[in-house]
Amino acid sequence: MIRTVGGRLLGSLAAIFGASVVSFLFLRILPGNPARLILGPLASQQAIQQQVRLMGLDRPIYVQYLRYISSFFSGDWGFSYSNGRPVREVIATRLPASIELGLYAFAFAFVAAVVLALLSTYRHRPVVDGTVRAISFFGLGTPPFWFGLLLLLAFSQALHLLPGPEGRLGPAVAPPPTVTGLYTVDAVIAGQWGTLGNALQHLVLPAVTLGLAPFAYLVRLLRVNLLEVSREQFITVVRSKGVGRWTAYVRHALPNAFLPTLTAGGMVLAQLLAGSVLVETVFNWPGVGALVVDSILRQDYAVVQTFILLSAFAYVALNLIVDVLYGVIDPRVRTPTGAR
Amino acid sequence: MDEVLLSVRGLRTEFVTRDGVFAAVRDVSFELRRGEKLGIVGESGSGKSALALSIVGLIEPPGRVVAGEVELNGRRISGLPDRQLQLVRGKEVGLIFQDPMAALDPVKSIGDQIVEGIRRHRRHLGRREARRLAIELLREVQVPFAERRLADYPHQYSGGMRQRVMIAIALANEPDLIIADEPTTALDVTTQAQVLDLLDRLVSERRTAIILITHNLGIVAEFCDSVHVMYAGRFVERTTVEQLFRAQAHPYTEALLRSVPRPDRLQRGPLPSIPGFPPSLAHLPPGCSFAPRCPAAQEICRDRAPATVELVSESTPVLAECHFARERLRT
Repeated sequence: MIRTVGGRLLGSLAAIFGASVVSFLFLRILPGNPARLILGPLASQQAIQQQVRLMGLDRPIYVQYLRYISSFFSGDWGFSYSNGRPVREVIATRLPASIELGLYAFAFAFVAAVVLALLSTYRHRPVVDGTVRAISFFGLGTPPFWFGLLLLLAFSQALHLLPGPEGRLGPAVAPPPTVTGLYTVDAVIAGQWGTLGNALQHLVLPAVTLGLAPFAYLVRLLRVNLLEVSREQFITVVRSKGVGRWTAYVRHALPNAFLPTLTAGGMVLAQLLAGSVLVETVFNWPGVGALVVDSILRQDYAVVQTFILLSAFAYVALNLIVDVLYGVIDPRVRTPTGAR
Repeated sequence: MDEVLLSVRGLRTEFVTRDGVFAAVRDVSFELRRGEKLGIVGESGSGKSALALSIVGLIEPPGRVVAGEVELNGRRISGLPDRQLQLVRGKEVGLIFQDPMAALDPVKSIGDQIVEGIRRHRRHLGRREARRLAIELLREVQVPFAERRLADYPHQYSGGMRQRVMIAIALANEPDLIIADEPTTALDVTTQAQVLDLLDRLVSERRTAIILITHNLGIVAEFCDSVHVMYAGRFVERTTVEQLFRAQAHPYTEALLRSVPRPDRLQRGPLPSIPGFPPSLAHLPPGCSFAPRCPAAQEICRDRAPATVELVSESTPVLAECHFARERLRT
């Protein structure tokens, strides 16, 4: 167990190193001189050269990389070339919105996928199964921004059940005091129940929109695995002990069918946390997706680099968590003597 | 004679497939007495396993029990809702399956899987007490270091040990009947013998009746009192083990016996085998289902399905489904 965890950690470090090198080199090789970008088109040649020296852009590229990586870990992520604010501050104002939306979208996708996959494969019911498969086809084939607009038209414009594209809170509601940056959590901490309700109302439509495709993907995956496992002999053995059909299904078939879904779930969550430009635009969500796209267009290296590296960290961390959960579910992963 | 424990009448199980409906079990009837050891033999695909699952109502779609009655301890259990059958399964009837590698849940500990069966039927038992019982059971099936191995997982057990666990699970609530479907087929020969001896001892001690499903006549000879030969979903011959090895009323039984390799009959040349394959259950021949492969088949065999003939041979009753059963036993 300790050895496997050590191996994973080493692999994770390698992955992060790779991501940092790629993000660093990729953006250095792209056209556009950062010094020129910062000082603007009217700056003199002399000023540019001074700026280049100041930023260390005249040093060998590996020195630049080392400086970049060490300052990243010391918490100095540079400053935005376009507006001069520190990258940390820029990202910190946007990231919590994306994380909160991503978490809710993931919760929706994951829970809905597990429930519907169980329903569609439990016993032989072609109608239920067909319905679930139709939903998942729809989810995989539907562009999220279009689906989001559709939801807004239906639930906000026509039915007035949920708020329109106002962002994270209604115009008359003040954000709760910042602790985590996630409004629903902060509202609970501050005991502001009205704010909590308002934040949740604003989360429903974007979370469903963002979670639709991942949900469809997960439900298909889990469905196939459940079908396979439910045909295994040990399910019949469990039933021969007198255990009911549903209990046998949830207690024995589900854990065995769950591992691939767990892996996919980790990847899906990492992706969701990184935000989505289209969904954020449709719902006026002040997330990190739009920020990154803007930064790319403005060749704002520092912001993009930081974002890439943070995403790498998220992926690696989630992967590690998934690996640990794997061991919790499957004893064959725990012992090095391994599977048969 | 002991009282009747299990009585099966006209049991018929059908599977609906794309190629049509086929009956895996065709109107099978038999009785089993308390403490009796019955062997059911036949080739793969003869409907043995379907019969076992049909008795306890574990046939899953696309299969379905379409007719017949099953009585256990004088109570009708066929057609009961699953909720009530659950109380029978694991308590009055224990099942042992063929492949010990596939029969245990790989992500649950051995202890949990035994305890699950115990506590399903004895809800008043606490977790600790059930675990103690599980350890006792593991000891009884001779799993070494039972106490320590309770927390282990199936992949840490060998095939023979897993089959012992299966026996422990089947015996957990002291059932009156054990149905063992090819319990030793997946094991090597030495392990086979050990597991069979163990099973034999445990069911004899408890006077548990057992239905042993196998394609191995050697096992039947060693283990069983009576034997039913199954072919294409029907019992073609029913008799005692001694009688079966003495004379065979059905040509299929004879062919089965002849194709058993025996060291005292070693000879050059190929092992005698039964020509052809078992008939497709979706397209059974109109007459006797064995006729296409039977060396002694006459015209009547191809035209008319034989009725069950009741005979007595050397004061042993024999039931056979062959037009020529009477003549065959006389010779």
